[in-house]
Amino acid sequence: MSASDVRGRDAEKGREVMNVKRIPLIVGVAILLVALSILVGFTDLDVTQGFVGAVGLIAIGAALNGFARRRREVETAETTDPEHRTTVPVPGANFSETINQFRTDTYTFATGSRQIIEGLQGAAVAVLTRFEGLSEKEAQRQIETGEWTSDERVAAFLSPDLETPDRPIRSRLAAALDRESSFRSDVRRTTAAIAAIGYTGLEAAAPESIPQYDKESLENVVPRTTAASTSGLALTAVRHTGYWTGVGGLALLAVGLGAVAESPSVVLAGVVAAGYAGFAHIQSVPEPTLSLERTLSDEQPEPGDEVDVTVTITNESRRLLPDLRIIDGVPAGLAITDGSARIGTALRPEESVDLEYTVTARRGTHTFDPAVILTRDLSRASEKEYYLGVETTVTAEPTLKPLATQVPLQPAAAAFSGQLTTADAGEGTQFHSIREYQRNDPLNRIDWNRHARSGELATLQFHEERAARVVILIDARKSSYLAPEPDAPHAVDRSVEAAGRIAASLLDTGDTVGLAALGPVDRTGDRKLDLRNTCWLAPSSGQHHRGQLRSLLASHPQFSTVPPNGRTQWHPQLRLIRQRLTSETQVVFFTPLCDDASVRIARRLGARGHAVTVISPDPTAERTTSQQLARVGRRIRRFDLQRAGIPVIDWKGEQSIDEAVARANSGGTR
Amino acid sequence: MMELTRKPTRQNTVASITGAVVALVVIGSGSPAGGLFGLVGLGLLALGLHRGARLAVDFGGGVLFIGVILGGLQGLSPEATVIGAVGTLLAWDLANSAVELGEQLGRETKTDRLEAVHIVTSLAVGLLSATLGYGVFIFSGAGYSLGVAVLLILAVVFLIAGLRSSEPAAA
Repeated sequence: MSASDVRGRDAEKGREVMNVKRIPLIVGVAILLVALSILVGFTDLDVTQGFVGAVGLIAIGAALNGFARRRREVETAETTDPEHRTTVPVPGANFSETINQFRTDTYTFATGSRQIIEGLQGAAVAVLTRFEGLSEKEAQRQIETGEWTSDERVAAFLSPDLETPDRPIRSRLAAALDRESSFRSDVRRTTAAIAAIGYTGLEAAAPESIPQYDKESLENVVPRTTAASTSGLALTAVRHTGYWTGVGGLALLAVGLGAVAESPSVVLAGVVAAGYAGFAHIQSVPEPTLSLERTLSDEQPEPGDEVDVTVTITNESRRLLPDLRIIDGVPAGLAITDGSARIGTALRPEESVDLEYTVTARRGTHTFDPAVILTRDLSRASEKEYYLGVETTVTAEPTLKPLATQVPLQPAAAAFSGQLTTADAGEGTQFHSIREYQRNDPLNRIDWNRHARSGELATLQFHEERAARVVILIDARKSSYLAPEPDAPHAVDRSVEAAGRIAASLLDTGDTVGLAALGPVDRTGDRKLDLRNTCWLAPSSGQHHRGQLRSLLASHPQFSTVPPNGRTQWHPQLRLIRQRLTSETQVVFFTPLCDDASVRIARRLGARGHAVTVISPDPTAERTTSQQLARVGRRIRRFDLQRAGIPVIDWKGEQSIDEAVARANSGGTR
Repeated sequence: MMELTRKPTRQNTVASITGAVVALVVIGSGSPAGGLFGLVGLGLLALGLHRGARLAVDFGGGVLFIGVILGGLQGLSPEATVIGAVGTLLAWDLANSAVELGEQLGRETKTDRLEAVHIVTSLAVGLLSATLGYGVFIFSGAGYSLGVAVLLILAVVFLIAGLRSSEPAAA
């Protein structure tokens, strides 16, 4: 059932609030008449002990029934968490997918545990061949004999021939207390052993430092009030809260028992409860007239700036609103750092209330969702839910601040003077060599010192500098929305931010820079990918181009800070980009390298003759076994790309892009 | 980032516990059995408010009310029983309100004014119905039988039930 259906039903329920129940009403009036006639002495009905007793028993029965209903009837609005940012998965969130990427034969059937063992064997072979320099055959032999690791249990776990060594009693006891099966603990230890290959000093990881097998338990966060856009006040639901259900039952119980036992005290207790039951029905929910005004301290902040948001809600009606609960629709891409976007209050006519909070601006265009307004009558027995929408947008364009170090482009042939220092001799500033003077060499290039010394004419040559034509390609596919913590900056955000900085550096040194993306694409009416709206900015330079680049990075839908809903095919997009690239264009490719497609994209671009540099923001974590395996997978992909001649700059989560590039420069990826 | 705790709000929690303690003291002073029930009810209510559990709150309020009824049956004076009943219903109402507000808005949210409105209205309803009931009691004590009083109360209860909305299940 869709949400609108539910709302429709709620609204119907709301209309029934006005209905009355006939039978109890008639009974009530009849009893009242009888009682009054006795009081005024019109009839002399003898109210006997038996009669009172019977009435009492019926009342008790009705009471129990009424109280029992309470359990199913209480219904209140559930609220979302607009204070939070949208969360993204951590690499390795799905264990079976993670393990399957290492399996060589995924076609034949294998049981769950068999799949895991096969996957781990594949992972072990992959790391041994890459980081220990073994051939595939040798790696397989080492796994069979268990030579590859010093841990006997791990060796036996992956080898079909080796016997599992007996565990010492102490560890067996500990395992029994932990209730962790030996299979799980073996998987954990094996993964840790595989992850340790290629690193020095990590070989003997203590068992406590081995990541947990179980998934991390994550809070279920709904970061938006609603995805629908509303302007003005829109009623979305009317609910019967059932708040007082059962109190009438308590009243009947006391009156009934009091009648049976002839105790006026008990009857009086019932009267008090009856008072509350009556209170529940005196009012219906007022129809609120509210206005909302949202002011921001800065509508175009720099990413990372704090923006103060003030929301003023005013009761425009002439009636008191005794019960208002307000939750502002903080954009999904922003998180609250201070203050609160919620309030519970009562508003007199013409009165206003302020909500003040601070959000930290992040790159991108963020639109506020409608605020949720819950209002109730004085008795809280019924509730109305409204969305109150006012269009407010924050746009944070990335700063195009150049990097502190040089961007490590690859040496390549190009035509204009620019950042690339080539190996060819020619015009430039950096000394290259001296050659014999030839006619027509410019005078200022003649080595006059040498001429003074020996009388010979010689010409100085410099390294020729050329402008590179660079296209920055950002991998913004759904599978790239990954972060080491669910609400940490994800790989796409980091890529876009760094892309702006790198573009600025390149533009400053005279290179021409373009921008492209692989990301979510809308479909046209006939289900075809609508490639017209993909991000493409042809390499160019100049102030205007710089501005275009900046606004594309800030607000192109393919770079949204909120993860897309569905996956999109990347092949057609890549084909289009390859058609658009001229042959000598270099590509700087931003990708977290967390799936095989990212490697294929880089290699295809390389195969076309483009010099590709991969800058890879690292979103992996190591808190669970599955995450550790995902990290191993990324390491293997990085290694494979580098072996194929595509330099990869690994950008760790805690580093800035300057540090990552500086490290790559000193490491000589060039 | 500020984390939202979806636990019962403080002001209503304090008011609710106060109401329950008043009820307990009044019942306990005259009826040991009622006091025992009252103690259990108070415990359940406090547990429900600590955990934010509606079921415990409802049971706590119900048990406390049974304590009041037992007190009345054991011969507690009408005045004491009425005060006990008001305290009990106040405690139950405000505890529910605290749990609901906690779930919808969270404990950190500013809800003072809303909670104050809840406390005042709930207390007003309790005191008003107690005064009315007590007035009827004095009036009926002056010569009219308990039966007539019971009939009057039942009439009121049925009228209320008749004027209330139809139930969703029946719709």
